[in-house]
Amino acid sequence: MDTSMWLALVSIAIGTYLIRLLPYMWMKRSLAKRQTEDGVGSMPTWLTILGPTMIAAMFGTSLVPAHSDVVSWFATGVGILVTFGVWTRTRSMGLPILCGVVAFGVIRLLLPVSLV
Amino acid sequence: MNTTTQTLAGAPWKQGVKDAIPLLGGYIPVAISFGLISVQSGFSVLETILISTFIYAGASQFLFVAMAASGAPLWLVVIMTLLINARHVVYGPNLSPFLNQDKKWLPLMHGLTDQIFALAHARLPQLPGQARLGWYTGAAVLAWLSWIAGTALGAIAGGELTQRWPLINDVLPFALPALFFVLIIPRCNNRLWSLTIALSAVTAVILKMSGYPNVAIPLAAMSGAVLFFALKNQPIVGEH
Repeated sequence: MDTSMWLALVSIAIGTYLIRLLPYMWMKRSLAKRQTEDGVGSMPTWLTILGPTMIAAMFGTSLVPAHSDVVSWFATGVGILVTFGVWTRTRSMGLPILCGVVAFGVIRLLLPVSLV
Repeated sequence: MNTTTQTLAGAPWKQGVKDAIPLLGGYIPVAISFGLISVQSGFSVLETILISTFIYAGASQFLFVAMAASGAPLWLVVIMTLLINARHVVYGPNLSPFLNQDKKWLPLMHGLTDQIFALAHARLPQLPGQARLGWYTGAAVLAWLSWIAGTALGAIAGGELTQRWPLINDVLPFALPALFFVLIIPRCNNRLWSLTIALSAVTAVILKMSGYPNVAIPLAAMSGAVLFFALKNQPIVGEH
């Protein structure tokens, strides 16, 4: 890489870090000023809504399989159902995810690609 | 979210590592792909690893190597990669009520990726205050190191790996939607939130399938938020 490329890399690295850091510091100071006991209660409502909706959106984007064929979508559906089924029983994180991945993988392996 | 405080049996950082293990299924295959593509685009192995270490943002990194390899103006490369990461501005503020004044949080914000945010947003409220720094450190450092290690693996032997074990790319990444699902499903405890979450997720699927993966997350999240505000005072779906 030449000097200009290194400069671009450093700029992106610093910029990305600041995008993550500065809003946090701003909110921390804002909450400290208000000095409320319940920090969540004094946050702007729109911000508390955007947190869960961001996670839901990440779920949506990650749900789209790399190969958008019938088998992949079927495996995705079964994987999520299995994850949900195990989660309703265990209310934990690790086991539902593991079972979901295994179910997804078994279907991807067992169903022939010719179904596509 | 479930805000019942849990007591931890072991060290908080160990629990953080344990909670972040499902992330590896999504991180490592994508990092291997990045390492492979970066080297194929003309970056050296060391440069590729440094990109993952210091930028540490998946979509930005792919865009960076693709635009740089195509000879795009570097100022445009910088602006575009930062724009993709603009969605991160809401992550720190959402977590800040759960973090104390310790200065160690400042460098740890480098590790605040999409996935770590989702994990921390669900888990931090459940943890006692004094355990949160250790928990976050364990989770964020494991995710960061796995991203770097996956990148190195991809840069050095990515072609051979994906050829020999194609399932690395096909099956393991399902850990990510499964993780996001178990993180968000407890939020669907009333009609208003269920509709909000469902609209955000469906919009994200549609946007991604329509060829807009980079704007899918912020736009889908905003559409869900708009629905929330539109419905929150309706007696049928309201929170109360």
